[in-house]
Amino acid sequence: MLSVRGLAKRYGAVQALAGVDLDVRPGEVLAICGDNGAGKSTLIKIVSGAETASDGEMRLRGEAVRFASPHDALRRGLATIYQDLALAPRLAIYQNVFMGAELTRGVGPLRVLDKPAMIEQARGYLAQLGSSVTDTTRAVATLSGGQRQSVAIARALRWNADIVVMDEPTAALGVKETAQVLDLIRALNAAGKTVVLISHNMADVVAVAHRVAILKQGRKVIDRPVAGLDADTLSHMVMAGREVA
Amino acid sequence: MRGFVQTYGTALAGLAVFLFFVVFAPNFANPINLLNILKQISFLAILGIGFTFALTTGELDLSFANLASLAAVATGGLIHTGYPIPVAILAGLAIGTAGGALNGLLVTRVKVPSLIATLAIASIANGFAFFLTAGVAFVGRWDPGFVALGRAHVAGVPVLVLWMAGTALVALFVLKNTRLGIHMVCTGEAEESARLAGISVRLMKGLGLTLSGALAGVTAVLLTANLSSAAPTMAGDYLLTAIAAVLLGMTMFEPGRPNVLGTLVGGVVIGVLSNGLILMGADYYVQDIVLGLIIIGSVALSASTLKKAAFGV
Repeated sequence: MLSVRGLAKRYGAVQALAGVDLDVRPGEVLAICGDNGAGKSTLIKIVSGAETASDGEMRLRGEAVRFASPHDALRRGLATIYQDLALAPRLAIYQNVFMGAELTRGVGPLRVLDKPAMIEQARGYLAQLGSSVTDTTRAVATLSGGQRQSVAIARALRWNADIVVMDEPTAALGVKETAQVLDLIRALNAAGKTVVLISHNMADVVAVAHRVAILKQGRKVIDRPVAGLDADTLSHMVMAGREVA
Repeated sequence: MRGFVQTYGTALAGLAVFLFFVVFAPNFANPINLLNILKQISFLAILGIGFTFALTTGELDLSFANLASLAAVATGGLIHTGYPIPVAILAGLAIGTAGGALNGLLVTRVKVPSLIATLAIASIANGFAFFLTAGVAFVGRWDPGFVALGRAHVAGVPVLVLWMAGTALVALFVLKNTRLGIHMVCTGEAEESARLAGISVRLMKGLGLTLSGALAGVTAVLLTANLSSAAPTMAGDYLLTAIAAVLLGMTMFEPGRPNVLGTLVGGVVIGVLSNGLILMGADYYVQDIVLGLIIIGSVALSASTLKKAAFGV
């Protein structure tokens, strides 16, 4: 699906990423873990198109790619959901779902926004994700953290992205909302999407991921299935940077 | 209930002021007087709609009044020296639009904050306006066709009121029903999110400022036609009244967000206040005091959008 080879990034004297190989397989939920400074954020910024690599190559569906911007990545079917969700809180849910890619009706250049279609389709995306929100004309500001996450994910559906990268989706959430977001990830995966999950929370990783890649000091030190692991063992691995029995 | 007060509170307060004057201000409720109020606010409302566009994209425009004055003396000067009317009108529109576009370039390319860039352009426009007129006004018996643009009546309604209504309808349509409009709104609401969604934030901000300048050009032509003269400071007073209308408008309908309907109603409230106060015998300076209070009160109610536009925080 997505594979990177020898990906490296240097900020001045700092080697943030020192040659990482990683394969994201179609239909899986891959978790990327690591301590602060391990290179997770840098890796994700490059994969999502926010930054370019100093070295290495990236292939999407077998084709060499270099994203010019996050929007470029989005257009090619890779959506990134940022920690702050990149929503406009005072605008309606449907306006957020369709931001930058609004539906219009009309002839030729004479086009007006097709609000009923957007309102209806946004509702459909949310239903697909198992969200309880039905009135998509509500402002995003009125939603809970978990519901906001569903709006951000609905936007990825709108773009028909087949890979969704989620950056610490549960970091700012309470217990109940975390459970909601994990359900969202399962729903997204069930809808055939490949998910790359960056997380500090090992319980989340164990709950939804199929495979985990652990980074340490800019290198990938572990890449293995999650099955059979518990959160504690995983935490040890992240800290030690190697397999722990 | 709380939502209702938030959305319609200031509009209802405006209605209360209106009713107060109906009862206590002599001749206020006379239909001729009411139409006169609408006519008087048409300039500030059109300029205010321009400012609404700029503020919608998250930028301030403090230059529109001086740009309008400059465009007016250009139009007036050309007519005065015998150029064809269409040329004079186009020149006025072009100067306003070009000034707005220049604001846009300064803000989006040179990265000068709009508060500063448009203040500087205002000063430059003011200087050029005096340069063009050598400090005096162009006054004359101009072509009746041209003067009609600002003085005619259509079915008993002053044409200025129709210009104002037309401008508001077009602005409303663009902002509510076109992709361009919603992209401008997204840019002002959440710049980073808009950029990530592929919206050209720079283009939208440039467009907002350009439209503000273009409507300054429109106002200049109408003002020149209405007064049959052009002076280098003729639109200066509209700076504060137009901004006050927009700020007051931000407290209603779509609280916290500049919106065309709010700008219109804000303009009406300001027009009603100044007219009613005069009819009740208040001195002219009372209006200035009231205007200042309106500005402070409105911004206190919807501070965040303004702070973001002015200081980027």
